[in-house]
Amino acid sequence: MPEPAELPRPPAASRLKTTATLVFVVALLVLSLRQTNFNLEALITGTSDFFRFFGRMAPDWTALPQIWPKLLETIQIAYVATVVGTLIATPLIFLASRNTSTDPITMRVARTLLTVLRSVPDLLWAALFVAVLGLGGLPGVVALTFFSIGVLAKLGSETVESIDPGPLEALRAVGAGRNRTIIFAVVPQVAATMVSYILYVFEINVRASVVIGLVGAGGIGQLLNNYLSWFDYTGAGALIAVIFVIVLAIDGFSVWARSKLI
Amino acid sequence: MLKANETTFEIPRPPPHMRRNRALMLAGVALLVALFVLALVTMQLPTWARFMTGLERNFAPLMRGLVRPNTEVFNLAWTSMVTTFFMAVVGTTLGALLAFPLSFFAAGNLLGGTRWAMPGKALLVAVRTFPELVLAIIFVAAAGPGATAGIMAMGIHSIGYLGKVFSDVVEGIDQGPMEAIRASGGNQLHTFLFAVVPQVLPEFASHVLYRLEINLRAATILGMVGAGGIGLPLIQRLQFRRWDEVSMFLLVIVGFIIVVDAISSRIRSRLV
Repeated sequence: MPEPAELPRPPAASRLKTTATLVFVVALLVLSLRQTNFNLEALITGTSDFFRFFGRMAPDWTALPQIWPKLLETIQIAYVATVVGTLIATPLIFLASRNTSTDPITMRVARTLLTVLRSVPDLLWAALFVAVLGLGGLPGVVALTFFSIGVLAKLGSETVESIDPGPLEALRAVGAGRNRTIIFAVVPQVAATMVSYILYVFEINVRASVVIGLVGAGGIGQLLNNYLSWFDYTGAGALIAVIFVIVLAIDGFSVWARSKLI
Repeated sequence: MLKANETTFEIPRPPPHMRRNRALMLAGVALLVALFVLALVTMQLPTWARFMTGLERNFAPLMRGLVRPNTEVFNLAWTSMVTTFFMAVVGTTLGALLAFPLSFFAAGNLLGGTRWAMPGKALLVAVRTFPELVLAIIFVAAAGPGATAGIMAMGIHSIGYLGKVFSDVVEGIDQGPMEAIRASGGNQLHTFLFAVVPQVLPEFASHVLYRLEINLRAATILGMVGAGGIGLPLIQRLQFRRWDEVSMFLLVIVGFIIVVDAISSRIRSRLV
C-alpha cells in the first residue's frame, strides 16, 4: 500500500492566529465558568430538578377560564404597542436613513437615539414603566412601544438605504419636495418589506408580552407569576401549554403572511 | 397654479385589478384600525386622571434621577454586569455545544432527504417556542434562584435558535468536497470531518457570536425573576424608585451592551 502524500501545513502566521483565538476563547470560558460557579454537577442536578418539577406540572385544564382573559390582554398589549410603535417609528426611519434624512446632524441624533432604544431589553422597559406608571397593562403597552420603535426603525432605515436611487433622483429633478419624494419614490419601494417587518415586530411583541407580566406589566405572565407563588403547579402547567400554543400559532401565521408578501 | 398656455397630461386611471387591490388594502387598513380601537376600549386601562397623577408623582423625580447618575453604585453595577456577561458566555457555550450535534440531525442534505430531518426540525421549533424567561422561572422554582437557573434557561433556549441556523448553514454547503472525499474512498466520518465541518465552522462561529449578543441582553433581565445577574439589584432599585441609582445601572448596561455589540459585529464581519 502506497504511503499517503503529506498534506501541506497551513502557513505559520495563520496557525498562530488560530491558536491565539482558541486560547482566548478557552480562557474566557474557564474564567466565566469559575465566576458563575457553573459546572457539570450543577448542569446535571439542574436538569434533573427541571424534569422532576416538569413532571409535577401536569396541566390542570380547569384553570383555562382564568387564563383566557389574560391571554386576550397579552395579545391586546402586543397589538396596540405594534401599531403605536409603527406610527412613531415611521418618521424616525426617514430621519435615520442616509438618503432621506434632512441633514447629517439630525441623522446622527436619530441613529444614536435608536441604538440606545435598541440596547434596552424588553423586560427592562417593562420594569421601568411599571415603576413609573404602576401595575397593569398600560406600562406593558408603553414598554413594548419603545421596544418596537428601536427594532422597527433599525430594520426600516436599512431597507430605505438599500432602495434604488433612480426614482428618488427623478422626483428631485422635477422639483418635488422632501415629503413628496418620500411618498412617491421611497414608500412604494419599501412598503411590502416594511409590512413584513411590522408583522415580525408583532411576533416579537407577542413573545415579549407573554413575559413582561412577570415584572407586573399585565398579561398572561402576571398569572404565571401568581400560580407559581401559590404553588399551583398544575395551573402553571396549563398556562405554559397555552403560551406554547399561542406563540407557535402567531409564529406560524407571521411566517405564512410574510411568505405571501415577498 | 396652472397657467393657460401650459399643457397638463391626465394621469391614466389604474387598471381594474389595481383598483381592486387598492380597495382590498383600504378594507384591510380599516379592519386594523377597528381592531386597534376595540383593543384600546376593551383593555382595562387606567383612567386618564389616574394616569396623570401617576405620571406627575413619578415623572419629575424620574427625570431628576436619570440625569444625575449616582456614582456610588458604579462598582456594584459594573461587577454585576461583568458577572452577567460571564453568565451569557457560559449560557451561549452550553447552547452551542448542545446545538452542534443536534443541527446535523435537522439537516436534510446529510440525512438523505428532508423527510428524515423533520423530527429534528420539529424538536428545535418546540425548544425555541418556550420563552427564555418562562424557562428561567421554572428553573428558579425547581432548583432555587441563582446564576445556574439563568445559564440553564439561556442554554436551552439558545439550542432552538442555534440548532435552526446551524442546520440552515449545513443545508447550504457545497456538495463538491463531500463527493470528492467519498470518491477517493473516505467513509461517512471522513466526509463529515473533512468536508462538512471545515465549511460550516466560520458561519457557526459567527452565529454563536450573534447569539452571545442576544444572550447578553437576556442575561441582564433574567435576574428580575431571580435567575442571577444584574437584573436583581436593578429591579430592587426600581421598586424603591431610587432613580439616581437606576440611572447608573442603565448607563452601565447600555454602555456594556453597545461595546460588546460593536466588538462582536466587527469580528463577525471578518468571519463570514
